[in-house]
Order: sequence, then C-alpha cells, then structure tokens
Amino acid sequence: MPSAIVAQGISKTYNHKVKAVEDVSFTVEAGEAYGFLGPNGAGKTTTVAMLTAQLAPTAGQAVVDGVDVFQNPTDIKRRIGLVFQESTADSDLTGRENLELAAALFAVPRREVTSRIDSLLDRMQIGDAADRLAKTYSGGMRRRLELAVGIIHSPRVLFLDEPTLGLDPQGRAGFWRYVEELRKEHGMTVFLTTHYLEEADGICERLAIIDHGHIVAAGSPSELKDRLGGDVVTIRPLKPGPGLEGALKSVPGASSVSPAPDGAFRVKAQRGEELIPALVAACEKAGVGLAGVSLKRPSLDEVFLEFTGREYREDESPSATDRAVRVGQVQQAFGRARR
Amino acid sequence: MIRETVALTRRELLRIVRNPQAIVTSLLLPILYLVLFGQAFNLENLGSGRIPQAYFLTAFRGAPTYFSYFAAGMTGFVAVTATLFIGANVIFDRLFGVLKRISATPASATSIFASRLIAGSVQPIGLAFLVLGLSILLGHLGLTGLDITASVTVVGALEVLLAIVILSAMFASLFLAVGFSLEQPQTYFAAVNAINLPVLLTSAALYPWGTMPPWFQNVASVNPITLAVNVLRENLFAGASAYYPYGPGVYLLGLLAWAGAMFVVAALLARRALGPKR
Repeated sequence: MPSAIVAQGISKTYNHKVKAVEDVSFTVEAGEAYGFLGPNGAGKTTTVAMLTAQLAPTAGQAVVDGVDVFQNPTDIKRRIGLVFQESTADSDLTGRENLELAAALFAVPRREVTSRIDSLLDRMQIGDAADRLAKTYSGGMRRRLELAVGIIHSPRVLFLDEPTLGLDPQGRAGFWRYVEELRKEHGMTVFLTTHYLEEADGICERLAIIDHGHIVAAGSPSELKDRLGGDVVTIRPLKPGPGLEGALKSVPGASSVSPAPDGAFRVKAQRGEELIPALVAACEKAGVGLAGVSLKRPSLDEVFLEFTGREYREDESPSATDRAVRVGQVQQAFGRARR
Repeated sequence: MIRETVALTRRELLRIVRNPQAIVTSLLLPILYLVLFGQAFNLENLGSGRIPQAYFLTAFRGAPTYFSYFAAGMTGFVAVTATLFIGANVIFDRLFGVLKRISATPASATSIFASRLIAGSVQPIGLAFLVLGLSILLGHLGLTGLDITASVTVVGALEVLLAIVILSAMFASLFLAVGFSLEQPQTYFAAVNAINLPVLLTSAALYPWGTMPPWFQNVASVNPITLAVNVLRENLFAGASAYYPYGPGVYLLGLLAWAGAMFVVAALLARRALGPKR
C-alpha cells in the first residue's frame, strides 16, 4: 500500500527571513496515526497548512494520498479532512446546516447526505442539538461538530491541527475516542499536531518531535523513550564540584552522564532506583553535598529534553498534575497503555 | 460548481435573515433621511405659489414634489446601505475562521465569490421596496409622502427591479472588493464610510437636478446611484421621460457597465485572497 503522506524537504520562510519550517521530511503510512509534537511556534500548524494546500511552501515536495499537494490543491482538498485548532463552524447556522453546507462543498452524493449527517450527529452526540444554532454549543460540542464537518466526505487522510486545544480533560478524551473509532472502522490515516505530551504518547503510533521548524527526533513513542537508554536519575549538587562528573561516570550501571543547564547531572541507567544508593555514595566520596536526587521513568518530556537540550516549555503546555490526570483518561479512552 | 454556489448562497441569505440587526441598520439611514430630511426639506414651499409648478417639475425632473423625487433617490440608496454588510461578512468570516473552513474545501474561489455577490444583489430588493412602501405610507399618515403619478407598467416595474438588482450587484462587488482586501473590521468600516458619503453626495439621489450647476450635473450623470434612480423616476412619475435625455434602457446599460467593471475588480481580489497563502 502506498504511503499516505510523503513530505520531502518542505520549508516555509516568511519575508525571506523568518524560517517557520525548515527542510522537514517524513512519511506516514496508510492507516497510521502520526503526530507532530512540539511547543507553540514550533512549526506544526505551518506544516499542516502546507500539507493541506492552504499555504504555498518556499521549497520541497509533498504527496498526500498519491497526489502532489502543490500541483493539485483542489484534488487534495477533496481527499483530505481537516480539523483546525480554532473553531471554524458557522455560528449563525445550526449544527445540521453546517454539515449540509460541508456536504455540498465536498460533493457528497445527494442521496447519502441525510443519512450520513444523521449518523455523524448521532455518533458525535450532538443529535439533540442538531437544529440549534452552533453559537449555542458548548466548547466540547463545537469541537465534535468540527470533527463531523471534517469527516463528512469520508476522507482517506484526516489532519487534526491541535484539535483538542481548550477542551477540558473529559472533552479531550471523548474527542480522541471518536477519532480512534473512525480510524479503526475506516482505516483512516490520521496526522495530528499537539503540544500535549500525553496525547502524542497515547494516540500516535509514530511521532516526530518538532522544534524551531526542525524535526529533531522521530519514531514510535516507545522507540523514542528507548533511545533515552532507560531511567534518568538527576543529581543536584549543593554547589558545583570539579570531580562530580567523573565520580558519577565511574559508578557501574550508569550508561551515560551529562550535565544539565542548571548545574545538575543527568545519569541514565536501566534500573535507576537501584543505582541511586551507589550514585549518592559516589557523591559523598567526591566530597559533594547534595541538594536533591530525582528519578524519572522514560517519558516524552525526557525525550524532548534529550533531543532539544531543554525542558519542554511548561508555560506553554499544561501542568504536570493536569497532565497526569489526562494521561490516565487518554489511556482509558484507548483501552490500552503503550508504555 | 452550481451545487456549491447554491449552498453557499443559501448560507449567506440565512445569515442575513438571522441577523435582523443588520437589516434594521441597513434601513435606518434611508428611513431617517426620509422621515427627517425629506419631511423638513419641502423645496416647493419656497416659492409659496409665486414660482410656477413647471419650474419645480424641471428641477425635480418630472417628480411632483421634492419628497417624491427624494424618495426615489433613497430607494436607490438602500442598495448601498444594505450591501455594505456583504463586504463586512467577509471580514468577520475571516476573523471567525469560517472563510478558512470554506477555503479548506474543494469549493472554487469563483463559487465563494459568486454566492456572496448573488446574496448581495438580491438582499436589497425587499428593503428597497420597503423604503418605497414607507415613502407612500407617509403620505397617508398626514406627512409628506411619495406620490407615484405614472401608471406603472409591467415593463416599468421590471425596469425598476432590474435597476435595484444591478445597482446592488455593483455595490456588493465594490464592498466585496474592499472586504477581500482588508483584514480588520475598523479599517473596513472606515473605508466604507469614505466611499458611501462621496458616492451619495455626487449622485442625483439628494439634490434637485435642475438646481445643480452644469459641471455637477456632468459628475452626477455618470454616478451609478443616479443611473438607477433615473430608471425609477422615469417609471414612477408621469411625463418624467421628457426631462431625461435617454430612456431607462440606456441607464440600465450604463449601470451594467459599472457593475461589470466592479465585478472584474472584485473577482480578481477575491481570487487572490482565497488562493493558497504565500
């Protein structure tokens, strides 16, 4: 089966100087759920805009569902579904009218329009509100309406650009449940962008980490975490000591030791908790007082730090507690844990 | 192409119907003009019997009173006040993401533009006839009202209808051109204000034709509002044709030329705005 999306060296530079996306290449197989994970401003939306024929690239080529995106924009629009991060449904139309309009614009066969709309309204649980103006919908209902509009023509490839932005955890979990159902039933390829780590982890079969317009790492969530080489023990000294790095490296079982920007050291190990006593002892031996020791299991936070050299921008992503709650909900929605 | 244009036109018309405030605002200015300016400005009273009626008939180009002359002008002016919302809708559709959504579908730029133009051309018909009806009604309420002195034929009524539709199409194109070129509501409304008043003031909608200096008559004679109200006045007032150098057909052709030119400009700007961003 041919790949659903092939992007080769696509770049977007605004005004000859602002590089939003630079030399991005990746392939998404048919039926796959592929994600772009990155903070705000990383180039995710720009990439989606180029792949969906909304934005002309500065360089590169892209083929979606076997069609050259930049040569055949109208054909591409017919084949793909697109859900934007912002609400784009027409507030002055009812949910049903929004879907009727989309059905006409996507040339859905007339005899199928009513049944398809009824079935989508039902599935998205907005059937009761179908004849109410969209401006009266809650945030979650609007998002589900957006998804229904995006798939009214049964596209083979569905692009979701931060589709759950602004939704509460329940709404988020519900949204992904619908997407997963669609994927299973229709073999739809899903390309999604998100800055929520747990969404990338729970939903994507493969993902690319994008930062400052570049793909910095790509693979399945478990592959990416495996590349970290196991757990990460962070040793935080009271004050920098010259011999500390060497002392930590000498501990058997420490696969690598690297300094973090804040003066701490990140020690990788297969079984971090078992290594902690030896690491603490090594610090004492080196005469370095400790401010703290922490252990982290491999996570996409760690993957991001590993490949970009900095923490995932917490100010632009949800709090750790908030995330922990949602990780559980997303995994529950999918009925599986990919860790 | 036809299906998407019909669907998009339906959407535009539904939006208009569901926003009665826009309809009220469209009618507000012409009605205020009629009820205040039109009532106070009874030019024929100036002569208080000393100036012969024939003078006023020449000044008002066959209309029996200034108000009747003016009411026809305001009926044409509705085409301006009603269509400006069609351009504003482009701005708001862009702000609220609706245009982005429509542009993500295979719908052609032609359909997206055409649907707005069609909605803009038909929407003012009802409003124009409402202004015409209200002008007549004022006369029955003890105020000065519109006095239709001609017996309007079917052809005449069709000419009036055509004049309103073509004038509306012309202004819908103009405001769509502005809407597709600008991004912010405030700049749009500033631009629209800068267009509306000069267009109204250089037309024969307000001033008595006979009192205009010749140079102003030359300017006003090519103004699209003048062309449309000429068609109205020739059909509504008995013997008015004697005061016009051409028949309504010529003025309709002139209007068509305006509408055609404006259509080309607006279509090009819409195509540019709706294509992939660069």
